[in-house]
Amino acid sequence: MKATDVALTILDACSGALCVSSLGTATSALRAASDDGPHFYLGGAMGSALAAAMGVAEAVPDRLVIALLGDGELLMGASTLWSVSAYRPRNLIAVVLSDGVYGITGGQHLSAQPQFAAVAGALGGITGARVGSEAALRTALHELSRPCLIEAELSERAWPGPSPFVDPAQVRAAFAANVAGGTR
Amino acid sequence: MSSTDLSESPAPEPPPPLAWQTVIADTLTAGRVTVAAYVPDTRLQPILARLADNGICLRSLTREEECVGYAAGQRIAGQRPVVLMQNSGLGNALNAIGSLAVPYRLGLPLVVSMRGTLGEANPSQVPVGRAANSLLGTLGIQSFSVRSAAAAEQVTAGVMTLAFEAGECAAVILEPELGGGREGN
Repeated sequence: MKATDVALTILDACSGALCVSSLGTATSALRAASDDGPHFYLGGAMGSALAAAMGVAEAVPDRLVIALLGDGELLMGASTLWSVSAYRPRNLIAVVLSDGVYGITGGQHLSAQPQFAAVAGALGGITGARVGSEAALRTALHELSRPCLIEAELSERAWPGPSPFVDPAQVRAAFAANVAGGTR
Repeated sequence: MSSTDLSESPAPEPPPPLAWQTVIADTLTAGRVTVAAYVPDTRLQPILARLADNGICLRSLTREEECVGYAAGQRIAGQRPVVLMQNSGLGNALNAIGSLAVPYRLGLPLVVSMRGTLGEANPSQVPVGRAANSLLGTLGIQSFSVRSAAAAEQVTAGVMTLAFEAGECAAVILEPELGGGREGN
């Protein structure tokens, strides 16, 4: 799987979900897969995307919320997993683009295997899974109890295409309209 | 693995609240704050307990940066969060404030309990205490000091207006003169 394949699978399997993407590869992949759909693309604030998604999830409990995260991103903000375990929003799914490198900073390797799915599984109230194919990802999205964390193994590190440098004002306006139900 | 269900928002055990703490909590409530994200602090605890009594949802999170990220998610989804922290946590929160809340104009009211200034005995608290207002100001965030219970309502209400109406992050600074810290003043 490439990062864009992960985003395409999410959008197809979870139509109507509110998506939050971390800076860099995740934002580029979500832009590419959704044709710049009305999602919450972060252009910075590395380590904060899961917390932001949790805030959205608790603010909009009747919508499914998906955090699309880089693995370096989640490593920086990993303590939010404990907050997800504490408050357990039932409408939150975190999908980690697992390739073991910091993408936008130049492809440097993470210093250790994060084992996010195992960590999530060790915490109370979060289901964890690691998947290596679009079919397995689709199954996990549909069947895991929530909140859950899915590590999606990337077999190819292709840059998705669109710039990760988003216009915050446009993102905010489009996402607010999406939350209000006016877009999709 | 079994675990304790912490999905509810337990109110911290409060010491008796001081007048300013009650005023700030009630002003936030009157301003229709929907959720309070915080990292625990002695002086904030009675405010949080009062907010819980007022029916406001509390979220005790692991670090201040996470509080800002969480509140940004709440804000972009149309809610009215407040973030409460000790000033030493402001350093932890700067990237989320400067790279998310400010550029996305997700106006957040911040309530910052000060250490490291007047009367501080811990040298490790002083540098960030001394820098707190400058750090906020450098990011374009206005901060407003509260030194007496009499000023608490006006400042808190004004900061909420800046955040929720003008879309600007703004901070209530709880100065040491208010007391309520672990020293019991």
